[in-house]
Amino acid sequence: MEEKFHIDWFTVIMYIAIVTFGAVNIYSANNTLENHFLFDFKMEYGKQIIWLIASGIIVLLVLLTDYKFFNFSAYGIYVIIIIMLLVLLATGTFNKGAQAWFKIGSFKLQPSEFAKYATALALAKFLGTFDIKFEGKRNISIALGIVFLPMLLTLAQNDTGSALVFVSFIIVLFREGLSGWWLVLGFYLVVIFVLTILYPSLYVLAVVLTIILIFIYFIKRQRQLIWLSILVFVLTSIFVLSLDYLFIKVLQPHQQQRILVTLNQDVDEYYESKASAISLFKVEKPVNQSKSTSKRDYSYNVRQSKISIGAGRWFGNGFNNGTQTKAKLVPEQHTDFIFCTIGEEYGFVGSTLFILVYLLFIGRIFFLAERQKNAFSRIFGYSTGSILLFHFFINIGMAMGLLPVIGIPLPYMSYGGSSLISFSMLLFTFLKLDANRVNELTRFY
Amino acid sequence: MDKSRKFFIILLCLILLGIIFITRLYFLQIVDTSNYYKAQAYGSNEIIIHPPRGTILDRKGQLLVFNDALYDLMVVPDKTIDSDKDAICKELNIDTLDYFKRIKKASRYNSRQASVFYKNLPYKVFTRLQEVIHLYPAFYIEEKIDRRYNINGAAHLLGYLGEVSEKVVKDQPYYKPGDIIGIAGMEKSYEVYLRGIKGRRVVLVDKFSRQQGSFAKGKFDSLPISGQNIISSIDIDLQKFGEQLLTNKIGSIVAIEPQTGEILSIVNSPNYDPNLLVGQERNKNFSRLLLDPRKPLFNRALKAPYPPGSTFKLVQALIGLQEGVIEPSTTFPCFGGYRMGSLKVGCHAHPSPLDLENSIKNSCNAYYCHLYRGILDNPKYNSVQDAYDKWTEYLRSFGIGIKIGIDLPEESSGIIKKKEYFAKVFGKNWRSANVVSMSIGQGEVGLTPLQMANVAAIVANKGWFITPHVVKNIGDYQTKLDEFLKKRQTMIDKHHFDTIISGMSKVCLPGGTAGRTAIPGISICGKTGTAQNPHGKDHSIFIAFAPRENPKIAICVIIENGGFGAAFAAPIANLMIERYLKLDKDSPSLRLDLLERMMKSSLLEPTIPKPTTN
Repeated sequence: MEEKFHIDWFTVIMYIAIVTFGAVNIYSANNTLENHFLFDFKMEYGKQIIWLIASGIIVLLVLLTDYKFFNFSAYGIYVIIIIMLLVLLATGTFNKGAQAWFKIGSFKLQPSEFAKYATALALAKFLGTFDIKFEGKRNISIALGIVFLPMLLTLAQNDTGSALVFVSFIIVLFREGLSGWWLVLGFYLVVIFVLTILYPSLYVLAVVLTIILIFIYFIKRQRQLIWLSILVFVLTSIFVLSLDYLFIKVLQPHQQQRILVTLNQDVDEYYESKASAISLFKVEKPVNQSKSTSKRDYSYNVRQSKISIGAGRWFGNGFNNGTQTKAKLVPEQHTDFIFCTIGEEYGFVGSTLFILVYLLFIGRIFFLAERQKNAFSRIFGYSTGSILLFHFFINIGMAMGLLPVIGIPLPYMSYGGSSLISFSMLLFTFLKLDANRVNELTRFY
Repeated sequence: MDKSRKFFIILLCLILLGIIFITRLYFLQIVDTSNYYKAQAYGSNEIIIHPPRGTILDRKGQLLVFNDALYDLMVVPDKTIDSDKDAICKELNIDTLDYFKRIKKASRYNSRQASVFYKNLPYKVFTRLQEVIHLYPAFYIEEKIDRRYNINGAAHLLGYLGEVSEKVVKDQPYYKPGDIIGIAGMEKSYEVYLRGIKGRRVVLVDKFSRQQGSFAKGKFDSLPISGQNIISSIDIDLQKFGEQLLTNKIGSIVAIEPQTGEILSIVNSPNYDPNLLVGQERNKNFSRLLLDPRKPLFNRALKAPYPPGSTFKLVQALIGLQEGVIEPSTTFPCFGGYRMGSLKVGCHAHPSPLDLENSIKNSCNAYYCHLYRGILDNPKYNSVQDAYDKWTEYLRSFGIGIKIGIDLPEESSGIIKKKEYFAKVFGKNWRSANVVSMSIGQGEVGLTPLQMANVAAIVANKGWFITPHVVKNIGDYQTKLDEFLKKRQTMIDKHHFDTIISGMSKVCLPGGTAGRTAIPGISICGKTGTAQNPHGKDHSIFIAFAPRENPKIAICVIIENGGFGAAFAAPIANLMIERYLKLDKDSPSLRLDLLERMMKSSLLEPTIPKPTTN
């Protein structure tokens, strides 16, 4: 049968639209009022155009590559990336507290951006192999190992944001057989975590106990469920009681503060209220939190970001007219906080439209993934969708003050060559696989 | 769980996420408006553009008050790294060490923002620097405006400027702390016209408050509107002449153009140079003036109530005529004064009895005691108290006992007591004899020089006046305020004035109380006054208008402790009138001997510093 080229133009058009809109916003956020050059390659909005062209070339290369290459070389690419991360760990150059860059001439390469791509390939390859399913200790361990290895390496680079992104693979595993109860458990732990920070531990436990007792009263004689409830309560108690220790000891001070700021807590007050816990575990109170600076410093980004978005009102100030944007009041606005520009310059109407289009774009990827007939393409598609979804969720949630500040880019929107190229590769590799869906039918079945 | 069901769960999560995000967006952007207002505040800086303040001219168009520009050289220390410091030093004629000192001083405040590098550039340096300043991006020239006064007198008229007080800032939102406002004189009363309207430019600033360009494309910007120029009714030549005449005397002159109510000059002595209260020396000079025992800051013409003495007789006569207490032909005897029981009001030697006209010419005290008691004991009224009320009503129609409404701040209403005051002093049923001293302008009566000059203007106009004012026209369209176009009618009928005027004209003819100072060729109608006062020698007072037909000037002169009205006040008034009327005809045939005598005589005691007890 004749090989057909069935690329999903709907996704491609949305990709082009989002990337273009991203460039427009980077221009607005990065350019100064005095500078009237449309292309100034000294400025980052100018460099972004170079990255756009580079992405275009790489997209073409991906589309011209034989689709079998991805399946064939998945482990190879994964191994190369792991080696790169290891090398970085050894000889990384410092950048914003995270050792995450390879300096090649004047360009910086961020392997952790490509690690997601490689992990997606490797996971798809492993779980997509004939007769391997997400079942059994061995398979589950290998699948989790594929995800955790690059995650831990990124974490070791002190790049918590990028490491967290690997959590997104839980959606893939969920689709491939992971019980939904694990997601529920995760959600439950997050709720308990937030409550424990907001309220005294004993109150939280009291509430949990009450709910469980009511639950037991209603289910009555079902022994198994009663034992399970008691187990849940015991585990919750252990979690809650050790949380103060975990929070202060495991998380770094700036992470603790970002979380507290997101939850509208006064950083100093929090540490004072937990003073007994700190002394109990012999943990030293994190330094650099003098009363005058702590909250202001750690809430500055988010506050400015919220003000900037709020300034947009219904229709926004219009392209290149955002006052907060032009005054450069939001740090990192052209990278992680690019959503502020959209919020301020296009208002509620524009931002809502943007969110809807982006979710439609991600939804379309999941839809395409679901219709794949072979497991490799499907798992890779789900990985693509999950990674994009996670970035979107964290980035915009952070910009709107719903989530703690976690420095990860908004795919296709934030400034940055590595991220734009890696996300474009991710998307078009999947589209390439999707385009050969018709051929797969005849080949494998 | 079915795998395609998992797909739908994921889709459901997507939709849920969209709902959460859009709801959050709605709260941030639509519900919570505080972000919007914070954005306005954080990202912008309002630069106020102060309009040039209006100038003040005299009635002939001579510039009295104007603005002078001062130029400061400003520097942004952070930008000076690649500045050509040698060139700058050469332009300013400073050495390199001084240059670095100044940069260091400027960066002490904020090295990213502009600070003063060189204060008050000399004009020559400014003009030269202005042409080359664009070569030095770290530097720019800032203009500052200072007020200048073209004359060294008329300070009470023109007033001065100063920084707004906290109270003004609180009451009037137009003013911001640090703004300049008129504090006295015309600068204060015409503040709204002179100041113009501030413009503003809202600029975008970054987190270091550096300007990034126009905020919101100039949506909130507005251009300043220049202050309006004011043409004063002051005749500056007459004003200066009056100030010369009052040198070394304490007193006051007020001259009014009767037909228009325009004030030709208000002279106070002692006076001060308005340029003392300008710029940086203001505070120092102000406290010095404030502590001066002669009170140069005190505007006597408007604020000091003097006993009017015999000049008050004109008012009494007019009220008597109007009330029908006397007729022009009514005569009263005078036996060297007025006696009633133990009460005695003395008088000087003159023929007796006198009719009204001659009572003015001779200034007979007894005549007015009879007249005033006639007014108060008028059977028309139920009681002396009611008659007194009527009498004060007459006075108010003359602008006496009330604030007359001049367009200068801090006017006094003078002293006219209410009947309740006398009830307290003399008992409830006080009699006309108790207050008889007021008939000749002594006792419980006090008029400001302005009010006395206005009496002269009323007589000149035969019964009406226009509220005296110092501003002729405002702005480019030369408009006059409505309130200064309205005639204010007194309660006296026109025909009653003829006798008074002919009496006043006799005062200034040989045989009258001011007969010795008559001016040939000008018919002056006047009235002398010699006011006893608790501060020493009598005050010398003279009110007059001239010429008799179609009067051009009404004047009041008060010389504190000057003795008889004819001693100082009358000659000075005559000189003023002559100066004003004859200069118009271009023939300054002033009587130089008299002029010299008036200018040289000093009535000031050497000031002895008061012993400071406590």
